[in-house]
Amino acid sequence: MTGHIRTGTTATRAPWLTLRRREMFEGWLFVSPTVIGFLIFFLGPLIAVIIYSLSEWNLLSQQMTYIGTANYRDALIQNPDFWHVIRNSVIFAAGLVPLNMTLALALALALCRPGRGVVFFRTAFFAPVVTSAVAWAIVWKFLLQGEAGAVNQMLAVIGIDGPNWLREPDWAMAAVIVTRVLKMVGLNMILYIAALQSIPRDYEDAARLEGAGNWQIFRMVTWPLLAPSTLIIMVITTIGSFKVFDHIYLMTGGGPENGTLVLAFYIYEQAFEFFNVGYASALAMIMFAIVLVLALVQIMLRQKGSA
Amino acid sequence: MHPRRLAATTFAAMTFITAPLAAEELRFTLWTGNDAHLAIFNEIAEGFTETHPDVTVSFESIPAADYTQKLTFQLAGGNPPDLGWMFEDVIPGFVEAGVVEDLRPALEAAEGYELEDFSQPAMALWSEKDAIHGVPFSTSPFMIYYNKAMFDAAGLETPPELAAKGEWDMEKFREVAAALAKANSGKWGFEFKDGQAYDSRILHAIMPPIRAYGGYAWRDGDCGFDEPEAVEAITQLHDMVFEDKSIVPPGEQGDFFSGNSAMTVNQISRASLLADADFEWGIAPLPTGPAGASPIIGQAGIVVFSQSKKQELAKEFVAYMTNPENSELMAEFFPPARLSVLQSDTFVAANDLIPSEQMAYVGKAIEEGNVLPSHPRYAQIYAAMKPRMDALWRADADVQASLEAVCTAIEDQL
Repeated sequence: MTGHIRTGTTATRAPWLTLRRREMFEGWLFVSPTVIGFLIFFLGPLIAVIIYSLSEWNLLSQQMTYIGTANYRDALIQNPDFWHVIRNSVIFAAGLVPLNMTLALALALALCRPGRGVVFFRTAFFAPVVTSAVAWAIVWKFLLQGEAGAVNQMLAVIGIDGPNWLREPDWAMAAVIVTRVLKMVGLNMILYIAALQSIPRDYEDAARLEGAGNWQIFRMVTWPLLAPSTLIIMVITTIGSFKVFDHIYLMTGGGPENGTLVLAFYIYEQAFEFFNVGYASALAMIMFAIVLVLALVQIMLRQKGSA
Repeated sequence: MHPRRLAATTFAAMTFITAPLAAEELRFTLWTGNDAHLAIFNEIAEGFTETHPDVTVSFESIPAADYTQKLTFQLAGGNPPDLGWMFEDVIPGFVEAGVVEDLRPALEAAEGYELEDFSQPAMALWSEKDAIHGVPFSTSPFMIYYNKAMFDAAGLETPPELAAKGEWDMEKFREVAAALAKANSGKWGFEFKDGQAYDSRILHAIMPPIRAYGGYAWRDGDCGFDEPEAVEAITQLHDMVFEDKSIVPPGEQGDFFSGNSAMTVNQISRASLLADADFEWGIAPLPTGPAGASPIIGQAGIVVFSQSKKQELAKEFVAYMTNPENSELMAEFFPPARLSVLQSDTFVAANDLIPSEQMAYVGKAIEEGNVLPSHPRYAQIYAAMKPRMDALWRADADVQASLEAVCTAIEDQL
């Protein structure tokens, strides 16, 4: 019926809604929720942040002045706090990424095969990932109290005088790294388990027939086959560690003595405590660049390694 | 007439007819969610609707820790409340940014308001030249809360008893706190305000002893933390934390309201937390020091935001809420700056939880006290000060050097 009408119309004048146009229209209609979402919630804010970063904008007084690259120059050249913050972020990432990945791999190797209690332990190690960050921080702040803290009381049993974990800068950084690893390691464990389960058993069986031991099988067979997954996990974990905010906010508030003041928290402080949105936007763009470079370097290294 | 046009005309006509009768809502932000506090505010709002039947006042609670931030984002986002509470430490910044209204004309026009009844020192922070940018509805002095059972266990006289004898000074405070910690195993002698002295309430912890010793935080662009009086005061606190081990130290918890500390310092609005306490308690003045009695007052005011579209109505509500009658009503938890209320029998009997002789300390402290330090760049000062203060709260810290570092860090901001 519809086809008949269309044919009739074609006879009189060229139709606007050709099949090609209709298909294109329908295609855009189908992808429009994603495209609109991308434009409104990603591209728009990204462009806005770039514009804000070139201005001095005090949120309280609503005064916005274009100042070119002054915010970037201030952060990179004049502000000593910025480099202290970058140093803290690098220490946090350098501590968290290897610890998280090593522990995740060890857990995955132990729990990748079906066995007694495996489901329980997988659930137990994954549970913190879905636990509220606030609850996690409250519990750990309680456990990591000075003399009265459970951690220090346990250490006292074996004759160790534990530090005041969250009040001494170096120990506070160590404490936030370890508690973050314990919270998030379950996610990487699951990714590693999935990767391990995708390796055919034949490779291991063949290696074993050739007389290879467990360590040799891991080093020569399993580890190389895990490399693509390891790269992805490393990129995700590194980016996540540079963006960490909630954990720092809840555990230490960037203290003591700015010892855990990392980049994401510093941006928050500038934007939401001092209302310097322009400066905070410049810092956010710098963080974006750092994370982008890190991801690209890791991917390039991987490509070089596999070439 | 075309049906669509008819519908549109009818809708427009209905809108026109009902517009004058439409209810107006005033949105009021505050940082308490306490039922007892909100009951009083709702009662006041109901009173206002008797003369303004088309007006409703909705109270929107925002947690204190996020209050200034969320308020700022509401203002910046074009969703301003009409009026709201304001902390004493941020009002200078809001005034400087020009986002709060001058209330003087509305207060002077309000019948029976008696603006001159307000204590002038209490109004200082909220006034600039002839303008009044906020009305302090709560001028609440810091008081010592004590757990009588723990004093009894230590065989000590209570702070009011010591105060009556003129012996409640900083030296005695140290001695008593140490004795309380010793006599009550596993408990502390003293907890700083809300246990947050090492984090968000640094000034609340250090200003009472600093002023008792005759010191100051900053004035006229000059930092006072490294002056001898302040150093002496902070040295005493430091010794109490790390030598006597009588004050809850950094990284530990010792909540007074749960019975884990024998004393704390706080305002009378916190008395509501002790309504069901299973121990006997009371309040007393702050200990005196070499500079004599130096009560400290924490203030909160009500402001009307310049972005409000109902400014005049909001100003009318402020005038109503802070008139003599309603000030008396709020006095149970929020001591007013109105002298007539402070000096009245109604005030000393206002709080069911606090005996009248102890409420008298509150009135006296308001009349004699000074407000906490404030500054238009308070957030920046705090951020610069905080890491240096963290360094102070170590057992092996050099107090003098740490306080000098605080002054160096904040002098540009002052």
